[in-house]
Amino acid sequence: MFSAVVRLSASGVRALARTRPGYTAPLACRCYSHAKAETDEEFDARWVTYFSKPDIDAWELRKGMNTLIGYDLVPEPKILDSALRACRRLNDLASAIRILEAVKDKSGPHKEIYPYVIQELQPTLKELGISTPEELGIDKV
Amino acid sequence: MRGLLAKKLKFHLPIAFALSIVVAAAFKYTVTEPRKQAYADFYKQYDAMKEFNAMKEAGIFESVRPSGE
Repeated sequence: MFSAVVRLSASGVRALARTRPGYTAPLACRCYSHAKAETDEEFDARWVTYFSKPDIDAWELRKGMNTLIGYDLVPEPKILDSALRACRRLNDLASAIRILEAVKDKSGPHKEIYPYVIQELQPTLKELGISTPEELGIDKV
Repeated sequence: MRGLLAKKLKFHLPIAFALSIVVAAAFKYTVTEPRKQAYADFYKQYDAMKEFNAMKEAGIFESVRPSGE
């Protein structure tokens, strides 16, 4: 959370009105670094590739998901699709459903994000036979 | 779907800081300053010898007894 504040104050002091499309990447948004900032598309592609590794192991899946959830963003459906397929390769249905729960949690107060993501993932969920937490009745305490 | 926390903070953090400062200022000027003033006012006209003699006559000291004894 403090990196979010640092990013804010660093960029906010500069120009609050400046809106660079897609420049709210959770990483590489420092004002002084010479490195090229990663675009949103590159970020997404990198994560899709990470989960697409054919022989990904359980540790890498968990590590990837934990790292991804640590960012200030809700993962794009294409990243989640790749992650769900990794779960399928690892025969890990529990993690697949947990990923869906994580998306809902990451959305926070923005209640429209989770239904959108589920809608985007419907074909994948159907293909892989993954039930949503709602379908299983585990979304309520 | 990116930067949702950053967006929230950009709005709420200045408010949080401003509110904290306002509360601190309000506490200072409604509680601590009146208290300090009350102490100052009390001690402005404080006569230590008069108070001492009153205590002495009340007999609370061991090293000096009331003038009667």
